[in-house]
Amino acid sequence: MFKLVRIVSLISFLGAWVASAQAPLVQERVLLTFIPNVQFAPFYVGIEDGFFAEAGFDVTLEHLQEPEVLDLVAVGQANFGIVSGEQVILARSRGRDVIYIFEWFQQYPVALVYSDALDLSDLRQLRGLKVGIPGRFGASYSGLTTLLSSAGLSETDIEVNEIGFNAAEVFCLGAVDAAMVYANNEPLQIRSRAQAGDCGPISDVEVITVASQVDLVSNGLIVSRDLLNTAPDNARRMARALQAALRLSINNPAQAYLASLAYVDTLPRDAALITELQAAAARQTEFLALEPGREAVAESRAELLRQLSAQFDPGVLTQFQVLLNTIELWDADQLGRSDLASWEAMRDTLALLGFLGDELGDLSDAFSNDYVMVRNA
Amino acid sequence: MALTPVALPRVLCLGISDMAEKNFTQAMQPQKSRIIVHGALLRRLSPVVTIMAMLLVWHGITEWQLVSRILIPPPAEVLDSLVKALADGTLAKHTGTTLGEMIFGLLFGVSIGLAIGYAIAKAPLLEYILSPIIVAFQSTPIVAYAPLLIIIFGTGPSSKIVTTAVIVFFPSLVNTIVGIRGVSPRLRDLMRSLNAGRWQIFRKLELPSALPVILAGLKTSATLAVIGAVVGEFVGSGSGLGVLVITARSQYDTPLVYVTVLTMTAIALSLYGLVALVEWRLLHWQRRTA
Repeated sequence: MFKLVRIVSLISFLGAWVASAQAPLVQERVLLTFIPNVQFAPFYVGIEDGFFAEAGFDVTLEHLQEPEVLDLVAVGQANFGIVSGEQVILARSRGRDVIYIFEWFQQYPVALVYSDALDLSDLRQLRGLKVGIPGRFGASYSGLTTLLSSAGLSETDIEVNEIGFNAAEVFCLGAVDAAMVYANNEPLQIRSRAQAGDCGPISDVEVITVASQVDLVSNGLIVSRDLLNTAPDNARRMARALQAALRLSINNPAQAYLASLAYVDTLPRDAALITELQAAAARQTEFLALEPGREAVAESRAELLRQLSAQFDPGVLTQFQVLLNTIELWDADQLGRSDLASWEAMRDTLALLGFLGDELGDLSDAFSNDYVMVRNA
Repeated sequence: MALTPVALPRVLCLGISDMAEKNFTQAMQPQKSRIIVHGALLRRLSPVVTIMAMLLVWHGITEWQLVSRILIPPPAEVLDSLVKALADGTLAKHTGTTLGEMIFGLLFGVSIGLAIGYAIAKAPLLEYILSPIIVAFQSTPIVAYAPLLIIIFGTGPSSKIVTTAVIVFFPSLVNTIVGIRGVSPRLRDLMRSLNAGRWQIFRKLELPSALPVILAGLKTSATLAVIGAVVGEFVGSGSGLGVLVITARSQYDTPLVYVTVLTMTAIALSLYGLVALVEWRLLHWQRRTA
């Protein structure tokens, strides 16, 4: 009898263990902006390398415009979204109670690109020049305002041209003297055009990043106040899974690029390149086992680019280079944390533009660092 | 047989004598005219009733919080935003820009549509030569190539005018072809037998015959013009209702988004109404004939 009870207990225990081990993953939509792009590699790594699954999530990615991402999170139609800190401030000033719980980009990604024939060593020399921006909204406009403000200038000192998201073409046609662009992407494209003689009289370009002048809060993970009240552990697990995936993307860009192939149709998938990247990813995994410091990892990335550049055409490597440039904007000793000063700087810029509504309240309520793992993954 | 309010009593009176029926019909005349008057009034009031009903439903949705106010703000908030946008001149400025682009685009696109449509109707060979280009342009979504128009025609109003012209061109073209080809060959022969010249045939026969179809195309073009201008503004512009939507959206000012969208609707409806008025004036001969 006692033996039977033990067998039944053992079976029950094993049943419970198997059930818990096979607990279904929670379906979660993560709303991103723009379109599928290698710049979203940490999310692809998060799915492909199992970080989200390990945290209990079956993640699907969707791409929308920033205001749509924010509103869907605010009304609870999605639990997680990626937007810029600027959007969080604007939305909170108009009654959306969303909280920023993970700073993905440590540096504000917007920059001013201009011909190297121009001397803009002092930003005050922008006076009187034609500057292209997508429109009087969004990160580029905030970035321009911040740059001008840091030089003691205002919009009236320059000629602003709304050129849509056509900076490379319009700049190379000579319609503007300078343009606000994303530092990780467009300067690379414009420079390669210029060096190929396909950018009018421009032979090379220079870049001034907004981050070099002022620290503004940038893109990050948002959730609603309701989620933090009802399921804070979900927010914590998602933030930490993203943190781990982001660290792996930074440390092993070849692996991040390979993970992106399943999501970004336009990535070059030359067989020789893929074979080389697979070998590089394996080598990097061995290297990372030695627990190198950030500088050593950064040097390994530069070395990988040198090796690849010796074997492949620049066109084949453009997207890999975009990934490497973007990694520079993500990397920090402590991932995920944002500081009040960067939020205040952004709020001041938005106030200068007259964009803020009446309901902003205490800025420290807009973000939280409580959901980030303090030691890097 | 459909039972109209007048027909129903007649059916009920089946079997009564002709005289009785005549008397009945005469007795019903004032009632019939009252019903006609009421019917006309109802027809005129029905759009107002529809709008009022929509406003009530909208108010109900927001009042009972069936949908978050973030997504659908209450009508009162939208009205406040409208008053504010009118008072500070924001709406007038952006509406003026869009209207200008629309009108120039409409004139440009419709003129080309009319000219090419007439030429194709008269010379079918042209249809074979031009149709691949025309159909290719028409079947490609304008949002796909609008950025190219911005690059080619610049970031000023000319690129939005071209975007509008491209989108309004096709209905004008097709309706002109259909209208001109629909002219009776016998009437054409009759005109020729009376020694009418080409200009006379065009002015006295082709234009009046094709006008109803051409004007129907113009109505479609007028409503599409708003889409053309706003798409152009979405892609890159400093002013216009498209820009105002983006700006309001990026500032999470949902009531202003609604105000802008409703303004676009009002413009499209007004243009449609204007063309309908022109049609009513120009086609008075058709009503007389009828």
